[in-house]
Amino acid sequence: MVSAAEMASGVPAPGAPKATPPLTADSIPATLPNRIHAHRDVRVSPRFEPGQRVRARNINPIGHTRLPRYARGKVGTVCLDHGVYVFPDTSAHFLGEKPQHVYSVRFAAQELWGLEAAPQDSVYVDMWDDYLEPA
Amino acid sequence: MTTKRRDFLTGSLSAAGAAMTANLAHGQEHPDHEHQSVPSDPTLRVKALESLLVEKGLVDRNALDALVDTYENKIGPRNGARVVARAWVDPAYKARLLADATSAIAELGYSSKQGDRMLVVENTKKVHNVIVCTLCSCYPWPVLGLPPVWYKSAPYRSRVVIDPRGVLREFGLELPEDVEVRVWDSTAELRYLVLPERPAGTQSLNEEQLAALVTRDAMVGVARVAPPEAGGKP
Amino acid sequence: MNGVHDLGGMQDMGPIQYERNEPVFHAPWESRVFAMFLAAGAWRKWNLDAFRHAREVLPPADYLLVSYYEQWLSCFARFAGQEGIGQRG
Repeated sequence: MVSAAEMASGVPAPGAPKATPPLTADSIPATLPNRIHAHRDVRVSPRFEPGQRVRARNINPIGHTRLPRYARGKVGTVCLDHGVYVFPDTSAHFLGEKPQHVYSVRFAAQELWGLEAAPQDSVYVDMWDDYLEPA
Repeated sequence: MTTKRRDFLTGSLSAAGAAMTANLAHGQEHPDHEHQSVPSDPTLRVKALESLLVEKGLVDRNALDALVDTYENKIGPRNGARVVARAWVDPAYKARLLADATSAIAELGYSSKQGDRMLVVENTKKVHNVIVCTLCSCYPWPVLGLPPVWYKSAPYRSRVVIDPRGVLREFGLELPEDVEVRVWDSTAELRYLVLPERPAGTQSLNEEQLAALVTRDAMVGVARVAPPEAGGKP
Repeated sequence: MNGVHDLGGMQDMGPIQYERNEPVFHAPWESRVFAMFLAAGAWRKWNLDAFRHAREVLPPADYLLVSYYEQWLSCFARFAGQEGIGQRG
């Protein structure tokens, strides 16, 4: 445990256990670019397919989500299926990975912002399966 | 190389400035939030934290030095520029890049198989792409290095999804009305790179010369690649 | 969460502040925070989603006003202390 006292003083408490092995210069290539990589090689059925119209759910979780407010309740079109990834809404709170498909969904600018937006413009948002419902 | 971009505010965010603005934040009431305490200089806190982690055997100082060196000197927009230049001169490579960007970029040695999954979006006369992460600061590190402060800040993140043409105008780029603008919000673990249009008057340039023209801003989508100056040198 | 980090579509956030020839890090301490953050990716007891959320729950005014790496430092230091990174298992 890195205690607050240790943090403030910069010195570990006597007898504090050391983690092994430390990250060394040799192990850097394996961790660069360093992420806990989110793609999962598991078979999960997609609920949607490219070309399908979908609506982003109106969810308002108190915890972590990657569904931006500007897209909630809006209708778009699935453009691509990116494959299966860890679900951040659960992963951030250590409630499980819940791997599922992530799609590139195209939202017309006018759908998001109203008729004053340019009719030919759009915003592409990557959406997890759980964020979507059929439109 | 001249740009048409307006010079706007260029002050860099400094730790001192951050400390000052953090004092403003202290004046507000946050009954449900634990206030972060902001000491006067992050340098001391960082030194203490690093020493602690090293003493506890969690990190090796050489490893930290190597990471800093990598991102200060080895990984940056020059990587993406070479990808773009290769796509401009080699149609087969361009096709591979648009079909499977992760693999095509890895061909040039810029990301490992465990790296971020990449997508390349192509600018044409009719389509202009621009990249953002409205929710935080996701950015295609393997080809562009670390993002600039403006990309991570509220003004860009908030505006580019709702007023991309206004943002591009602020960067000095005026798009014709018949061009379709596509904004890509990097909400998941896919990372996006714009393949800008090859400027006119570059037929005689080799790949290395072409790469020298490609700017980070063009690969984010807030600028075009400018043609070489009239003097003939890129 | 419907936090201030969810910025898409918000207005009146001011002009885009562009720095010409911006360095990768504005001060050495920023680079050390960055490196420690990457090194922490090798630890088992954290993940990127949790770290993003840690930033999201910063006091809103701090999120908008405090510099990026200062925010990281704050989140990182708190995380290391709270989550017992130094413990085995």
